[in-house]
Amino acid sequence: MVDAIRYLFLGLIHAPATFLAWFQERWTKMDLFDESHVEESKTNPWFSLGGMWYWVWMLVIISGVVLMIYYIPVTDQAYHSIERIQQNWRWGPVAIGSMVRGLHKYGADAFIILATMRVYRMWFTGEYKQGNEFSFIIALLLLIIGMYSGLTGYLLIWNQRALWATKVMATFPTYLDQNPAWLPGGSLINWTNQGKTTAQILLGGTSIGPATVTRFYAFHFMLSFIPLIFFELRVYARGFKRMNINHWAKLAVFAVVLAIAIMIPAAQGSPANPEVTPNPILSDWYFLAMYHFLKLQDPYLATVLTVAIPFLVLTSMFLDRRPERAWGQRQIFNWIGIGGLIYFIAFSFLILNGIADLHRDAPLWYFSMGAFLLTGYIQDWAYVMKRDGKRFYETFHIFFVAFILVAMSANTLYHYFGEIREWNVLGKAQMPGVLAHLQQANPLATPDMAYDWLEKNRPNLNLWLTKGAGPDKPPGMQLWVVHVIAWLGIIASGTVIGLGRWGRRKSAEAAALAAKAKPKPQGA
Amino acid sequence: MKVIQRRIFLKTLTSLPIVGGAVLAASALIRYFKPTTVGGLEGLVAPPDEAGSSIQAVAALSELTQPWDFKDFIYIRKSVEYSSRKIQGAKIPGFVVRIPDEFTDPKNPKSKYIVVQRICPHLGCTFNFVKSPEELAGGYNYKPPAPTHPYFACPCHLSVYDPTRKTEVNLQGLLPGKVVSGPAPRPPRTMSFEIKDGQIVITGTEGGGVG
Repeated sequence: MVDAIRYLFLGLIHAPATFLAWFQERWTKMDLFDESHVEESKTNPWFSLGGMWYWVWMLVIISGVVLMIYYIPVTDQAYHSIERIQQNWRWGPVAIGSMVRGLHKYGADAFIILATMRVYRMWFTGEYKQGNEFSFIIALLLLIIGMYSGLTGYLLIWNQRALWATKVMATFPTYLDQNPAWLPGGSLINWTNQGKTTAQILLGGTSIGPATVTRFYAFHFMLSFIPLIFFELRVYARGFKRMNINHWAKLAVFAVVLAIAIMIPAAQGSPANPEVTPNPILSDWYFLAMYHFLKLQDPYLATVLTVAIPFLVLTSMFLDRRPERAWGQRQIFNWIGIGGLIYFIAFSFLILNGIADLHRDAPLWYFSMGAFLLTGYIQDWAYVMKRDGKRFYETFHIFFVAFILVAMSANTLYHYFGEIREWNVLGKAQMPGVLAHLQQANPLATPDMAYDWLEKNRPNLNLWLTKGAGPDKPPGMQLWVVHVIAWLGIIASGTVIGLGRWGRRKSAEAAALAAKAKPKPQGA
Repeated sequence: MKVIQRRIFLKTLTSLPIVGGAVLAASALIRYFKPTTVGGLEGLVAPPDEAGSSIQAVAALSELTQPWDFKDFIYIRKSVEYSSRKIQGAKIPGFVVRIPDEFTDPKNPKSKYIVVQRICPHLGCTFNFVKSPEELAGGYNYKPPAPTHPYFACPCHLSVYDPTRKTEVNLQGLLPGKVVSGPAPRPPRTMSFEIKDGQIVITGTEGGGVG
């Protein structure tokens, strides 16, 4: 006990120095544009992604600066100034303005594609291990910055898509003021009104107006130029080559973007109109999956998850503590990556084709998410058994499985909880009588108020119990019951097995200590 | 040692006003970021959405005689903005709907009409008044139960609101437009109104959304 306190104290005392050493190691190894993979990049194009990415970034900045000359950042002129850029500025048959704008737009798309590919390369090859965490963080951060730069950039066009995407994006933070009361400090955070304040800071007011365009114009530069300044400072300090690709590769990337820009002129859409939301309305391609996800979720949860997804990726990176980097030896993390990719593609496909059944799909997706994790876990389980030469029950992590199952059941719970009391046959039978009674006092009484009354005044009529629910009960209902039972069972058995295992290990440690202490002479 | 200590003390003393000045400058800049701050602690923590908008007549009762007659209108809400005019009118689209008599309170003539802001309380898109059940099922993923009636439905994330049903909202009381499908957390934001000389007159709007 005393030893434990002593070690804890020493650990605390040395914490700053330990952290500094940890930080310095990662700072030294931090890789911006794959400059530490010069040899690999000569044979493996996946390691040229960093260089190509920087090159595309430069193309976007240069074309952006050219566009700045002609663009007018005022709500009533922005759309037409873009129209003018698209049409008027010609060199023979080639519309130069349209080409430059295409370079800017498709270059930004290429930036996001390359950044995504690079993040995936680092994820699947476990490149963030052995002290390379910062390289991964930088790669992910720049992907996010690229996406936000896109979001702030396409409001500047001032078309319908831009306006509604901005509105959705600016309404997001207001949900951060609606933390539930059971969350520690939730009501304090709500009281500070920081969500609404964030929205107002973004928009420069309570609505999307001229101030918003000015701010987004400024953010659009900032998001590109501030990281660039820091990158250049590091390049200056270290003196490495920014792009590990030859001139032909640069030319090829430029030619591809330019060809697309000429063949498919960047779309302009219809001018923004705050009075009409077109149906359907879509976002830019990299937000499509997120947009579909928003349909399926409670908005508070969706906001928190959207903010949390990058942090979740970073957290799960730090959970991957094993040194193994080979594909077959880290299946859980592979499946997290594959799952993310599958959801991105599947959700984008679904929203483009207008397929969404809000009442059926959400639990399905949540279950598949759990299934990916379970598949990864089972493969990893097999690998650990083989690696350590252990029996299957010796490497079984019951809490991991329990966690996945709880997560799988949670969404089902959420999706059917709200309607459960209306599926209670007894409650439904009594509701009209109560409603009639309530309507004598208040003619505007609603069925919901009748249900509330029943819940309050008939404690033995448990409205959350669906025993004897009618033939039209939702298909997920049985699943919900099964999940609650499975949840409780797994947590209980996990606790029993875990405690047993912990006790056995403790007594083994004590026995080993006693055996070690015995040969020592008395009084030494 | 004493000398160095004195030097540190003097340096700290002289740097305090500099730090203070920097903080003051930064605070002014940061307050400038947030345009609707009116000042004081209250202004910091609970910004008002409106700076004082005029009363506006939006519909005549003669336009809304049959059940499910509706009118869409634009209400100009003025709020403090970072602009040379200091104040900016945000266009808040709205709906007035004449509710069938079975859902109204015979003693209260105002209950025949519901007036809502068309800004979806989910993520701010402008929702529609959809009369055909086929359109609701096809475009908004909601099959209304029989007997069917019109609904409010948002094209962005497919929230559907039932104008005949009400839901309790914190601090606002019972509001019409219970969410029957989709991710919206609450009924549409309302507008307070009065009936004057056969006109529906808007007197104020519920705040909190992004206009």
